[in-house]
Amino acid sequence: MNILYVEDNRINAIVMEKMLTGIGTDVAIAETPLKALKIANEKPLDLILVDINLGLNQMDGCELLQRFKKMDLLQNIPIFAVTAYAMPGDEQRFLNLGFDDYFSKPVNFDRLIRTIENIRTKLV
Amino acid sequence: MAFTIDQISVLTERTQLFLVILNKEGEIVNCNSKCNIILKSSQAIEKYDKIYKYVIDEDKSRFQKVINTISEDNPILYETFGFPITPEGIITLKLEFILKNDLIYATGIDITTENKEHRALEVISKLTKTGAWNYNPLNERMYWSEGCYRIHELDPNTPMTKNLSLSFFPENSRTRIENYFECITKNNQSYTFVEKISTAKGSEKWVKVKAKPIMYQDEVVFVNGTMADITDRYNYIEELKYNEETKNLALKGIKSGLFDHHLPKNIVFYSEDLKKMIGLPLDKDFIPEEEFRKLIHPEDVDEALQRHQSNLRSQNPYYFNHYRLNHLGEEDYRYYEVYGYITYDKYQNPKRLIGNLIDVDEKTKNKKLLKESKKNLQAMINNGFAYILLLNTKGEILMADDLSIKIIKKNYDVDPIAKKSKFIDVMPLNFKDTFTKDFETALEGKSVRKEFERITLNGTTQWLESKYTPIEDEEGKVSSVLASFLDVTETKIAELAIKEAHLKEQELGKLKTNILSNFSHEIRTPLNGIMTITKLLLKEEDVEERKKLLNLLSESEDRLLHTLDNLSNLRDLESIEHHVALYTIDVNYLVSKCFNKYKKEAFSKNLSYELMLDTNSPSLKTDQEFLKISISHIIHNAIKYTNDGKIEIKVESDENNVYITIRDTGIGIKQENLNAIFEPFVQESIGLSRKYEGTGIGLSLAKRYIEVLGGNINAKSKSGKGTDFKIIIPKSL
Repeated sequence: MNILYVEDNRINAIVMEKMLTGIGTDVAIAETPLKALKIANEKPLDLILVDINLGLNQMDGCELLQRFKKMDLLQNIPIFAVTAYAMPGDEQRFLNLGFDDYFSKPVNFDRLIRTIENIRTKLV
Repeated sequence: MAFTIDQISVLTERTQLFLVILNKEGEIVNCNSKCNIILKSSQAIEKYDKIYKYVIDEDKSRFQKVINTISEDNPILYETFGFPITPEGIITLKLEFILKNDLIYATGIDITTENKEHRALEVISKLTKTGAWNYNPLNERMYWSEGCYRIHELDPNTPMTKNLSLSFFPENSRTRIENYFECITKNNQSYTFVEKISTAKGSEKWVKVKAKPIMYQDEVVFVNGTMADITDRYNYIEELKYNEETKNLALKGIKSGLFDHHLPKNIVFYSEDLKKMIGLPLDKDFIPEEEFRKLIHPEDVDEALQRHQSNLRSQNPYYFNHYRLNHLGEEDYRYYEVYGYITYDKYQNPKRLIGNLIDVDEKTKNKKLLKESKKNLQAMINNGFAYILLLNTKGEILMADDLSIKIIKKNYDVDPIAKKSKFIDVMPLNFKDTFTKDFETALEGKSVRKEFERITLNGTTQWLESKYTPIEDEEGKVSSVLASFLDVTETKIAELAIKEAHLKEQELGKLKTNILSNFSHEIRTPLNGIMTITKLLLKEEDVEERKKLLNLLSESEDRLLHTLDNLSNLRDLESIEHHVALYTIDVNYLVSKCFNKYKKEAFSKNLSYELMLDTNSPSLKTDQEFLKISISHIIHNAIKYTNDGKIEIKVESDENNVYITIRDTGIGIKQENLNAIFEPFVQESIGLSRKYEGTGIGLSLAKRYIEVLGGNINAKSKSGKGTDFKIIIPKSL
């Protein structure tokens, strides 16, 4: 199972990668939106996790989502928001934008892993 | 030593004095033989005859009055009575009366010769509308001649007193006239005055009053006076004055023309001026009255004719009329006034009316306009407008409210009502821009209303609501403009204050949400690392991996701590002034320390990171903690917002200041946001989406701290190119 994680925060990227490889998935890390788009074009993906605040980069996670949505390759691929924006209303806001699921930071890994396992079983 | 009875009887019979003794009924008790002449010696003198019987008619009532009013404390002196005698006519006696033991002792001397003059005056007074009067200051008795009574249209039998005589004068001049009395009796001063009286029958007259004191042993014992009815003369003088005024008006350029109306023939002769003025045929010298009437405006004809008739009927020779006349044969009428004089034939029938026809068109129209405008103005004033001016189409002030006039008088030393002034010449400078445009719009017939701001003479800001309202004449042409200025400063200030307060509140609300949201994000991000690492550590057995994870853990903890530091600094923002500690420090050393603190961060982003110190090694008496925090924040910021390129930190100084410059090649700040960046919690991207990490209070803290140290921070920036922050601190606080 191929997962793309878009995250500009180095530590968060490292630990997510470690966490997800721990359950036997392939994780590609993109620190910038451009790199994320490039990977999405080149590599078949089963799931995309997107951080919203991408720091100094040209796009934030929401804009990146819109780009992904336009890509034929990704039409049936779930895209989750993984973000530290966790004020009341934030979850609804991101789901309305088109994310398939929302995970606030600090990430509840039990739920994340469960969700990923669900997707994996469907794939098989 | 007293006289014996014999001696007295001799004396009384040999004296030139008239001696009479009366009882209280006025009956003769005794008299000396000198009295025979008046008591008709030819007839037998009967004792207890009434004395009045022998007094001339017009003096009878006065004699009776003497008998009635005399008392022991109040002897009556110097009363003059006439007694008829044959063949001489009248003998005039000046009598003194004393009351003793219920008997009246009257002694008198013959003053017939002197009195003839007086009588003559009386006669003249009857003919010349004059009267004589006298006043006795000792008993305050007032005597009026018949002439005086006639002038006052008062019954001659009315007893006269000083107060009654005063009562005919207007109330407001009585005190003045009483003062004349004071002056004449106390200071021996003659007087003459002219005053209006209201007679007993209510008609108004003008009198000229003269008075002269009579002295006896340096004291005023009597006042003799005259009064003359000068009503006719007075009116004549007034009339002269009035005509003089008319003449002056005419000289001032008012058009006028003379005419001579022969009343029995009903023909009007007119002067050349009049011909030209109203466009009558120049080759004729007169027109029939009927023709003239046709020139009068149809609406005015009836009333003008009525006035004309009543003028002719009245005994007053002065003629006045007014009407509109057709002007030069067009559908244009002008206002005229007629002042004239009527002459009469020997049967008192009016013969000629000689008059002056005056063109008062402009005056009348203005008057009418003003009357209307006055009403409008009053309404406006009642509606609370502060300054109101009525301007003609040239922009000259026709009317203004008292306050405006006062201000103009004070500031420009002219009375805009007395002397025609253009409003633009007497208005505050900062009115002029708006005035010219608005006034022109009003002249086109449109109302203008706007609010504007100006600085008053004493430097305060004033908000005015100006309104220009065109006023149209009957034909719908703009004839004047009403300009009003309402001071709405207070309302405006209140309005602005409410708006500002509202905005502040909104801003504050937004800020609160932003702060919370920012802090939440800033805490959750490193917390995510910490918690995930902790989870991974629990499972990880490889020592090298564990070491790596522990390093990441401490990095995340640093970032969390930085956020929490900011949070506590935030609370200190308002109270920092209270604990400043000043020491002399080496600026180079302090900046180096800050520089080193962020070396790792800068290198991890592959940025070029440079420090240039001042070779002069400047020292500064300052609070090093505040300075360190400020510099650190700016460096931290510079690294955070720079993706590639370099960060340059430079220390410089001159004799007054130390300059610390932090220059980056980062994303820069848009010009419009440069000022806002020092506000707490503002980050440029707030409101769009928050792109950059950080709690956003660093810069505002830095600015506050540097200001406490007496310095300043400037930011120069180009979006996309980078930012220069320059800290300037004076060497002496």
